Amino acid sequence: MYYSLITMRVAMKDLPGIVRQLAEGYGDAMTIFFLTLLISLPLGLIVAFGRMSKHKIISLPVEFYISVMRGTPLMLQLIGVYFGPALIIQFLGEVFHIVSMQTFAVPSNYRFAAVIIAFGINYAAYFAEIYRGGIEAVPKGQYEAGEVLGFSRTQIFFKIVFPQMVKNILPAATNEIITLVKDTSLAFAISYVEMFTIAKMLVNSTSSLIPLVIGGAFYYITNLFIAFVMKKVEKRMSYFN
Amino acid sequence: MKKKIALILAGVILVLSLGLAACGTGSDTTDTDAANGTESAEGEKMVVDDAKVAAAANDGIFKIGLDPEFPPMGFRDTDGNYVGFDIDLAKEVAKRLGMEFEAVPINWDAKNMELGAGNIDCIWNGFTMTGREGDYLWTSPYVSNAQVVVVNENSGIESEADLAGKVLALQQGSTAENALNSRTDIKDSLANTLFVADNVSALNELKVGGVDAVLVDEVVADYYMAQNPGLKTVASLAQETYGVGFALGNSALRDKVETTLQEMAADGTMKKISEEWFGKDITTIGKTAE
Repeated sequence: MYYSLITMRVAMKDLPGIVRQLAEGYGDAMTIFFLTLLISLPLGLIVAFGRMSKHKIISLPVEFYISVMRGTPLMLQLIGVYFGPALIIQFLGEVFHIVSMQTFAVPSNYRFAAVIIAFGINYAAYFAEIYRGGIEAVPKGQYEAGEVLGFSRTQIFFKIVFPQMVKNILPAATNEIITLVKDTSLAFAISYVEMFTIAKMLVNSTSSLIPLVIGGAFYYITNLFIAFVMKKVEKRMSYFN
Repeated sequence: MKKKIALILAGVILVLSLGLAACGTGSDTTDTDAANGTESAEGEKMVVDDAKVAAAANDGIFKIGLDPEFPPMGFRDTDGNYVGFDIDLAKEVAKRLGMEFEAVPINWDAKNMELGAGNIDCIWNGFTMTGREGDYLWTSPYVSNAQVVVVNENSGIESEADLAGKVLALQQGSTAENALNSRTDIKDSLANTLFVADNVSALNELKVGGVDAVLVDEVVADYYMAQNPGLKTVASLAQETYGVGFALGNSALRDKVETTLQEMAADGTMKKISEEWFGKDITTIGKTAE
């Protein structure tokens, strides 16, 4: 008895179930999305300052951190953040014969934390470079004008340079944010189930590509919305035009 | 204006995807609660391109499809060669049939497609027959296996009852899922079931304490426990058998392989290969059922 191979069809009665399950996964993906932005946007600014520091003892390690985060796959970083600490502690426990370390186990919520940590430090590196580009594009004259007007260095940065930096980086930042929406699917590397994982499971059980199409639609509509919002922001910030 | 265009575009995409779906024949689809894993292993389907399968069977190359992350049955060694218990058996069969041997790594989720399209002649990879008897054309079962629960030695878990409130990992799409689903008493008592991509990931989760127990094939468990002290098995959930799976209708090749396997059992080759990998004869061809 032959059954149907993978198709572009699915029974109408299955659709609500498919969409419902994908929506649940979408919620998990969006959780990663928002938490990652919450961490990486501010952290990226700090890293950017480090990168631009005049003291090599700060700027060189930071440069190294950025180069590793951008130069290795996020999937690898996810696996490293999740499995790494425990395996290292266990290994050190064996080397130094400390029994309690040999049986070290990750805390029960570590999987989710590892996802957020890995995403956060990865995206912070990318945002750091974006910030740096935006800051360096602000003319030196702005700093001088600020000094002449009696602003402190902090005031110069936050009141004069920062707003102009934001204007400069909007397109690049939009790119990163859109990429983040799609990168959430990598979380399955450490068995965190989000929408794309569920879409694949559904493809398997329905022998149809439709769950992937619907999942793709979820991503696309999300990114359309993001691009739309960023465009509005760009417009509001184009006060010279 | 632009906002309207964006909204219309979004609407069009939604309608398109629903429209594509609506072209469906509404034929017997399986339960879509795939996130619970009830269908991933059972509901797989295959359509066979008879011409391609026959051509593949006669091309003089014995191509076996395997999941290359399934030691000790089939995996990649550090030199980049595919090795394993199943590989050794298959190589011997190919030799006796005068065919070349080729190990084809496949995505386990796509195994039916590969088989039905003639890209591989058979699936030989610790492939569980139990529960899939009608989906493929099988040889006789050649290994008897069980799904066992593996835990850390000092975890305090001694029996099935101790699994209550614990987290269990298993490979997504494997017969471990079926085994767990058939034991709803255990499944419901768990705090959580974690689906991982492969058996090695599951055992690694155990190592770092991300899960409390792993449900995996006994042959895999034995192999890993031999190399990684500190683990033990505490329960056996389902008896199953391994066979070599061919595309439905490919009886000519299946019969040849079956005959060869019987010969290998009769002249002791199978026992020898089994002892090399497991230290004992775990094969079941040519023996009376216990």
